[in-house]
This record gives sequence, structure tokens and C-alpha cells, in this order.
Amino acid sequence: MTLRSLVAAAALAAACVAPASAQDKVRGAALAQVCGVCHGAEGISRNREIPSLAGQQAGFITVQMILIREGIRNVPAMRPFAAGLADKDIEDLSAYFASLAPGFPPDIRPRDAAQADRGQALIGPRNCAVCHQASLHGRDQVPRITSQREDWLVHAMIGYRDGTRIGADPQMNGAVVGLSDFDIAALAHYLAHRE
Amino acid sequence: MSIRRTLLGLATALIAAPALAQAPAATPAPVPGWAVGRPEGSTLAPHAPRLTVTPLDQVPVGAIRLPPGFQAEVFAHGLPGGRTMAEGPNGTIFVGTRVIGRVYAITRNPDGTTRVRTVVQGVTQPNGVVMVGNSLYVFAINRVLRFDNIEANLDNVPAPVELTEAFGFPTAQEHGGNHDWKFTTLGPDGRIYTNVGVKCNICEFDRDRFALLVSFKPDGSDRRIEARGVRNSVGMAIHPVTRELWATNHGRDWAGNDWPNDVLLRVRRSGEDHGFPYCGGGTADPQYNAGRNCNEFLPPAALLGPHTAVLGMRFYTGTMFPEQYRNQAFIARRGSWNRERLSGFDVVVAKIDANGNVTGVEEFLTGFRDDANQKFADRPVDVHVMRDGSLLVSGEQTGTIYRITYRR
Repeated sequence: MTLRSLVAAAALAAACVAPASAQDKVRGAALAQVCGVCHGAEGISRNREIPSLAGQQAGFITVQMILIREGIRNVPAMRPFAAGLADKDIEDLSAYFASLAPGFPPDIRPRDAAQADRGQALIGPRNCAVCHQASLHGRDQVPRITSQREDWLVHAMIGYRDGTRIGADPQMNGAVVGLSDFDIAALAHYLAHRE
Repeated sequence: MSIRRTLLGLATALIAAPALAQAPAATPAPVPGWAVGRPEGSTLAPHAPRLTVTPLDQVPVGAIRLPPGFQAEVFAHGLPGGRTMAEGPNGTIFVGTRVIGRVYAITRNPDGTTRVRTVVQGVTQPNGVVMVGNSLYVFAINRVLRFDNIEANLDNVPAPVELTEAFGFPTAQEHGGNHDWKFTTLGPDGRIYTNVGVKCNICEFDRDRFALLVSFKPDGSDRRIEARGVRNSVGMAIHPVTRELWATNHGRDWAGNDWPNDVLLRVRRSGEDHGFPYCGGGTADPQYNAGRNCNEFLPPAALLGPHTAVLGMRFYTGTMFPEQYRNQAFIARRGSWNRERLSGFDVVVAKIDANGNVTGVEEFLTGFRDDANQKFADRPVDVHVMRDGSLLVSGEQTGTIYRITYRR
């Protein structure tokens, strides 16, 4: 390897390092106090159709907060909180929520084995694991979808199916195309009970 | 909604639509457009975008490699998602985006540094930006907005003139969210040239409605089909001498690591067919060929590599670069996701002779792709020739506009 290519490789390696260290979860924790009112003090929501954020992928929270702030994703309840948030605030908040342990909400509906089985049977045909990983814990901009509130999962999937919600790309709109309410309820029930 | 009401709603749905009552296992899953042809078990997925500001010390300008005599510098940064570029008469560079829904304006300060403003916000995928006189046109899927006298009003952008109905593009719903973003350029004939992508990864479709290059008068009238069977072109330019339209075109996904090539197209006569979905990169599609001979269609002018995601292109019309680059096509390759090993993430030059034949494709700007670790530092989306002959290159991943200059 020549000196020039060595220098180039070093510069590239430095450039490719994810700037995770730049995100400050302690600062994020201070900023997150207001979030806890709805999303739960430890990021585990006790409120209907409000998602838990504990253990969520930082990249996912960041992208969604930007989309909400910019008015691309329409969430009226979130708008006043997202408005004017600096990129750094969003990254720190995301780092904080990603650092919390995920968990089931206290008001979780008892597991219905038949419904959960129906939901599980859709995971393969719908290729959920391609993006969300085999664990369904997600990666980067792709969210964790396990141990999430069941009512929230239903709300989110219906939004993608009916075109009222778009993500960073149309993958999820495609993934849930044609699912019935019955299918979505089953998927949500399965995911809500999976760790 | 309570569980009881959910169940009630479910029961109503079941009565209203008996088909939905079937057990899920018995319901054939409709395949979403983008996933048609995907092999079972593949874990390939699009790369994550970065929508937050990348601090200057993390901008990978030091990684850029260029031919001898060329230098790279940061022209502007802090434009998350910055992609397509258009220049106003007073020198403002307007930058379109996709996911973040913004259009930026870059101006020069008296000391030579640049200033970035967000001039449009909250618009879905405003990827098409083009100047017509003093007006900035923004093409956002099917929406078309015209901002008159924009450069005089960068701090107080007036409400746009809505031209959506006049242009009449298919909506995001009609595209199923697939390939609905636009690239736009102004021809020397005063017409706006743009693309209408296909509404799937690969499928049959209305050949007068999708997978097209089209042109319009600036008021949206007089639509003319420039090319058919063009899967997803998100970059085009008019040749400065021949006045022919050239365009980049993305090949389909899920047909292997090395097939088909993304291509460069030369449009000699308006309305001819370039062969999608029957042929890709000039050869038969393994699933959608339908018995068609690829000689029926126009062959690509050049092959630009499998899954490289060829995007913005410009012919070099400046005088700063050596003579050998005059009227050659600079092409941004944003880089692959539908391939096991990364390809692209660079800028190449297609060498075109006096007869309009491509004699070769050469690497120009490299260094963003890390083959050893299968990572990338930035994703070039568009190029733009400045009046001084320098070349701007947008890096979408870090929201940076790089400037390439040449010194003997």
C-alpha cells in the first residue's frame, strides 16, 4: 500500500465511524422529562395509542422526529414538542431512549394464543425480518417492533396501509399492503407479547 | 379504541367484507411493488438516511480521490438530505431533497464563504428543482410549485403559484409510492424535461403513463413523450452541441448482484421505446422478457454498473478543467443497496465522441466507498457546472455540497 492510499484509507475509516459518541444520552435524559408525561417516565407508555420509546432504535427516533418537526409526518399532538428542536437535541433524546430497557406496558392484554399464532404466521410471508432483523428489534432507521403497545402497533400499521403515514421510504407501505384489519390485529397482538 | 370496540369494529368489517374473514394463511399476500421478484430470505434493504446536520469536522472531504491536478473542498454543508441542484441567474444554488421535504438556497457571502437558507419546507419529496428565468420550479411527486422572483426574496419567500393540475402527473397513490420523485432540467428550447418512473420494481404498466421521459412548456401544457420504457431516470441533461437529451436510468432490483446494469440513455428521436420491463441494460429480463427481442428497443448508450444508482448528470461546458473533459458527461452514482457488495458511491465521466458514441466510462471522484469494511462515507446524487468551470457535487448522506476545481 502506498503512503497516499494509506492516508486515503485512514481518512475514509475516520469518516465512516458513526458519530455515536457525539450523542449525549445524559443531556437527552434532561430534555426527555417532558416526553415522559405521555410516553412513560421510563419510556414505557401507559397511554393508549402512544408508543413506548424505551429501547427503540436511535436512528428511527431521530428520523421520525425530523419528519414530525418538518411537517412531513403529521402528528398534531407531537407538533408543539418537535417544533424548533435542534438536530442535536433530537439526536440526544434518541440516544437516551435507545439506552432504556424495553418492557411490556402494565395494561398489556392477556395473550390469546390463537390470535398470536395467526400473527406469527404473517411474519415470514410479509418479510418483516428483512428490515427489522430476525429479532424484530430493528436496526438504525428501522424500529424495534416487539414489546410495543398493541394498540399503537395497530394504529401504525393501519396508517401505513391506508397511506396516512409514510416513513423515510415507502417500504412499510408496501410491506402491509392488502393486510386486513383482522391480520393487523393478529400481528400487533403477537408483537406486543414478544420480547 | 377499547378492546370491545375493536372487536365490534372487527365484526363489522368481517360482515362487510367476507374475504377478510379468511384465515391469514389462506390469504395470498399481495406483493408490494418494490418487492416484486425478491428472493426468499434476502436481507438486503435500503441504507438509512441521515436527516440531521453533519458537523463540518465529520464531512468526509478528506476521503475524496480525484485525477491529478484536481482538488476538492466543502462549498456548503448543513443541508441534510441535499440532492439535486439548480442555479439562479444571480448565482444562488437551489438544492432539492427527498425525505426531509426541503429546498435549500446557497448564496455567497462577501468574504467568499457560503450561506445556507431553507426556502421551502414540509413538501413531500421536492427532488425536482429547475430555474426558468427568475422563477424556481419545484417538482414534488405530482405537485408543481413556481416561486417567482425567488432570488430577490430568499428571506421572505412568497407563496408559490400552484401548477399541479396543469402538469397532471400521476399521484403518489397511483405510483404506490414507487419511483414518483422527479428530476427536472430546462432545455434550450425552453421546455422543462422530467421523468415519470415506473410504479413498481418490475411489472407491466400503461406505457403512455409510466416509465417515461417527458417534456412540457413551462405552464404545464403541450406534454410530449421523449422516451418510453425508461424504468426510473433521476438525472438528465441536454447535450450542449447536438441538443440531444441524455438521461441516466436505474435498472430493476432483485435480479442478482450483477444484472442488470444501470445505464446511460441517448434520446435521438422523441417517443422511442427503451425496453423496460422486457430488457434491462440491453439484455433480456429473466422474468419479464415476454418473448421480446431486445433489438426492438433502443440500446443503452453506455453501461454504468449493476445497482450503482446512477443519478444527476451534466455535460461539462466550463473551461477550468482540461480540454479532454469538454462536453463529456459527469454522472453521480449514489451507490447500491440491492447488491451484496457495495458498488458506486462515486462520480464517473462518460467519454462521448463527435458522433455521440460513448467511447469509455472513467472514474472521476472516488474514495467514499470502503470496500474492505463495506461502508460508505457519502452518496453523490447530483453534479453542477459552475460559471467559473468548477464542478459542484452533492453528498446526500452528509448534506454537503463539494466543489471540485482544477489547477495546472
